[in-house]
Amino acid sequence: MTNNLKVERAIHDLTQADLADKIGVSRQSINAMEKNKYVPSTVLALKIAKLFDKPVEAIFSLDEND
Amino acid sequence: MKTNYLLSHKYKTTGWILFIIGLISGIFMVFSGFESDLLNTKVLSIFNYGILNNEEVKFFKIIDNSIVDEITALFIIIGGLIVGFSKEKIEDEFIYKLRTDSLVWAIIFNYLVLIFTIIFIYDMTFLNIMIFNMFTPLVFFVFRFNFLKHKAQNHDE
Repeated sequence: MTNNLKVERAIHDLTQADLADKIGVSRQSINAMEKNKYVPSTVLALKIAKLFDKPVEAIFSLDEND
Repeated sequence: MKTNYLLSHKYKTTGWILFIIGLISGIFMVFSGFESDLLNTKVLSIFNYGILNNEEVKFFKIIDNSIVDEITALFIIIGGLIVGFSKEKIEDEFIYKLRTDSLVWAIIFNYLVLIFTIIFIYDMTFLNIMIFNMFTPLVFFVFRFNFLKHKAQNHDE
């Protein structure tokens, strides 16, 4: 699964730490997600989408490995 | 992240203290050959058959024993469990995944090492390996977990 978290973060002018703080996770989690090393749970994906006010599919998408 | 078996973060420091004291004491015991007269005290032995001097089987006897090794073992085990299973400052699903991944890694690594020692190490030396093996799953787990956490921390934006 890939995501454009980094882009969304830039649009909203948030650091990894800011974003982590807003959704109540550790900064490492955001970092791991941006590097595609961690696939978030549905709950976390929904929280992120809600924060950016977009549908989940606009931020997360399947890639050829899924 | 809701989990029902993790301890509160405030126990972490206590865990580290016990774990490190236990490990240092353990290393010291390895080099002193596991023999000690320190803290000799009366303890309750619920079952004992003298393996070396062919004694009869005894149940529920009070015996004299140095409890340094018992304390060391308990410190390592209890300390290690607390360190491994207390919450991080920010406990979330990613940290939880790192913890479970580390556990899987530690079990597999531990038993690969044990398979190797079963094949290539014999006699009393193997019994010594078994002493280490009481603690290595936990020790490997704690080190692996902290290594992964550290690695995740270091790659900055």
